Amino acid sequence: MTEKQRNTIVIDPVTRIEGHSKITLHLNAQGRVEDARFHVTQFRGFEKFCEGRPFYEMPSLMARICGICPVSHLIASAKACDALLAVRIPPTADKLRRIFGLAQVIQSHALSFFYLSSPDLLLGMDADPAKANLFGVIEKNRELALDGVHLRQFGQQIIERLGGKRIHPAWIVPGGVSEPLTEENRDAILEALPQAQQISERTIDWFKANLEPFREEITTFGNFPTLFMGIVKPGGGLTFYDGNVRITDASGDVLVDNLDPANYNDYIGEKVEPWSFLKSTYYKPKGFPDGIYRVGPLARMNVADRCGTPRADQELAEFHELQRTAVLSSFHYHHARLIEILYCVERMRSLLEDPDILSKHVRAFAKPNALEGVGACEAPRGTLFHHYKIDEQGLIRWANLVIATGHNSVAMNRSILQVGKHFVRGERLTPGMLNRVEAVIRAYDPCLSCSTHAVGQMPLHIQLLSWDGKVLDEVSR
Amino acid sequence: MKSHADPYEDCPTSVVAGQGPRLKTLVLGYGNPLRSDDGLGWHAAEQLAATLPDLDAEIRTTAQLTPELALPISEAGLVIFIDATREGEPGELTCNPLTPQLVPVRSSHHLSPEAVLALSKYMYGVSPPAFLVSLCGACFGLGEELSPAVAGQLPRLVSLVAQLAESGSASAASLS
Repeated sequence: MTEKQRNTIVIDPVTRIEGHSKITLHLNAQGRVEDARFHVTQFRGFEKFCEGRPFYEMPSLMARICGICPVSHLIASAKACDALLAVRIPPTADKLRRIFGLAQVIQSHALSFFYLSSPDLLLGMDADPAKANLFGVIEKNRELALDGVHLRQFGQQIIERLGGKRIHPAWIVPGGVSEPLTEENRDAILEALPQAQQISERTIDWFKANLEPFREEITTFGNFPTLFMGIVKPGGGLTFYDGNVRITDASGDVLVDNLDPANYNDYIGEKVEPWSFLKSTYYKPKGFPDGIYRVGPLARMNVADRCGTPRADQELAEFHELQRTAVLSSFHYHHARLIEILYCVERMRSLLEDPDILSKHVRAFAKPNALEGVGACEAPRGTLFHHYKIDEQGLIRWANLVIATGHNSVAMNRSILQVGKHFVRGERLTPGMLNRVEAVIRAYDPCLSCSTHAVGQMPLHIQLLSWDGKVLDEVSR
Repeated sequence: MKSHADPYEDCPTSVVAGQGPRLKTLVLGYGNPLRSDDGLGWHAAEQLAATLPDLDAEIRTTAQLTPELALPISEAGLVIFIDATREGEPGELTCNPLTPQLVPVRSSHHLSPEAVLALSKYMYGVSPPAFLVSLCGACFGLGEELSPAVAGQLPRLVSLVAQLAESGSASAASLS
């Protein structure tokens, strides 16, 4: 079939995700979807405009990439700066950074699950779009909405307690953190943990008990073999802060292990597509597009042998029983996200109960001792790399950021294609079709501000084009 | 626009002054402080805190209104939102009472004041009296400074907010 014999559906903007994007569905002469593209339509260019800035400004600058997960950028950036200083940060600073990161994962995952995706899960994929929001959730299940708001607030309040503010805190600095933890703040966080754990556990129970209506979505929402990538602790435990990269295959076997994040360029390739500002990455040894892999909660649950906390480990064991191979359906990102929230709450307790957590030694001071540094961590949406080169004066000469949403770019495109092929029929978009195309993207929880280092929210635009280029249907919201 | 049936019709929707201890006033300045006049709420909050340290109000700033604000709103006796507007003549000061509204929500972190009030009402059963105090902006481009038109009217806005806050929920209605 020639290009002209295709019809196209465009969804622009995509709603209930973080950032600006549109989706194009190409139809063949029979009205069936034959190709799909997820276009990220915003651009900011942080990698370029930080050139010439002093390296120690980078954490604060990079945190501005995103209002949802600034802490991950702070952590990855500060770790890259630690590498430039060639220092080992004090042990207490290491633990405090971990707590900060866990708090962010909780609030970010709570936002994704409760605010963005729970309307689909509670009201159904065919629900009235006017009700598919937090108000609709309140109407149907007020406790679920309250839990979501409480859990997000819990995470944000920890960030505010440690960092001084909820958004763009500057507490994490090259060499450690700027202030030690106070006893008052430690006790306040510890006091709030039991309720957060109760919410985490009952939400997982609620989710698992309500999966039956989504059998078709589980089967078709990005359910295909790929590789999975994530940072794990030595021994294969879940971590968000430090470790080496592990890649597993679709059968669940470890393909490669103990890859140094500093050498990411050896095994991760980056590709630019003309139709999107989002970079696509792939596992270099397998090439593009065969080197497709996924990151984020689903990938972390697939690559990790254990969480390392009691309740999360029970849930992980159950999760691994979903499939004999790796858990392949991207619908299960939601499930993985909830297990991670539980892990974060449990892990935070053990860190806060550490006898050294109130130590005043929280920062190492040095001048630059290296001209190149890489920092990596697991952001809520997946593996995050910051890579800087400086000159002798400590000014940034080059920067590269590899962002979680970019890692998932190829998989998201393939997921839209799978959902489109299964659910989209004819030349008109029904709300149910439209919502499923969006919902598969929501499962990945892409952050487009991060992935293009761009500004703004993410509306959605879907277009349906005929074989001769005529717009048959178009939805913008 | 009301898109839902009201599921909590019987919930209390305001706290009446004179019944029980007076609840605190919550001042919420919001906007983007890196977008010139859009940072009005932040500038106003700073001036309120600096010039009226004894003001009996909790002053908060935020880039956008989010669902988590429903809880502190539900605990307040009066809520005063401060934001810049594009409607009117640059520097024009307006003060309008707000009521909870179930507006369609498409984003997780971009709610209207009416929507946050509605969340307070439907999640916590309380929606205190609320006002939106605005100045019409002249410039929303990149920058941390207010335009002369807005900066010149900022003292009037601060004075009005202080007056509202000090009068509390009972007298607030008469000021509208």
